[in-house]
Amino acid sequence: MEERQYDLIFICRPDTLEPDIDKIIATVEHAAADKGGKIESVNKWGRKRMAYRVQKLREGYYVYMVLKSTHGEVIKELERRLKVSDPVMKYLTVRVDEELKRQEKFKRHRERRAARRPRKVAPAPASPAPAGGEQTATAV
Amino acid sequence: MSEGHVPQQAPPGSGPGGGPSGPRPQGGGSRAGGPAKRGKRSFVRKKKVCRFCVDRVDFIDYKKAEILAPFIQERGKILPRRMTGTCSRHQRWLTVAIKRAQNIALLPFAAEL
Repeated sequence: MEERQYDLIFICRPDTLEPDIDKIIATVEHAAADKGGKIESVNKWGRKRMAYRVQKLREGYYVYMVLKSTHGEVIKELERRLKVSDPVMKYLTVRVDEELKRQEKFKRHRERRAARRPRKVAPAPASPAPAGGEQTATAV
Repeated sequence: MSEGHVPQQAPPGSGPGGGPSGPRPQGGGSRAGGPAKRGKRSFVRKKKVCRFCVDRVDFIDYKKAEILAPFIQERGKILPRRMTGTCSRHQRWLTVAIKRAQNIALLPFAAEL
């Protein structure tokens, strides 16, 4: 199976200490490595105000990571761990590789079109009359 | 800020002019729909363009709540296409992005009282 990419976000309670958060990240990385996944990047967004209350709290410590894996078992394991971990209030895993692929496709498509367009435009002013003459000739 | 402004552009009751059929406004720019009647009321409705098409957006990131925020109402509802002028493709992506953002508490499901 091809490699899949996931976004993994989790929110810790705001009173969690920095070392504890690092510990959670470390365990997540470890668990992912165990199951054959790979953490591409970890980004701590820090304390943010949440849009609604979770566990009666208004703030949370967001951690965002990008994960690559060839099979979904990793996600199951990671979500289980996050669920049982006390400081984690909320988590979300999203598979993003298909969307990234789609984005790439559109980008390539656009570049191709952009590359083609100037070529089409360029000869037109250079030889407007012959082109017009030809067209009328074929039309008649 | 702008979320209060967007719905006012086209009140829900505005019938025929509300949903222009052409969802790809890239070329046209702002073609003003001509006044419908010569009589007392003559609206000049500016054609709404899809903001994402203008910016050539290929991917709507659910992590950027500030991009998604103008497309929800104060109460947390997702604004319909006829109000924002978003094209169908981008509206589809937008909906998914908003729902994801709601799940991770970046956007509200419903405004709190």
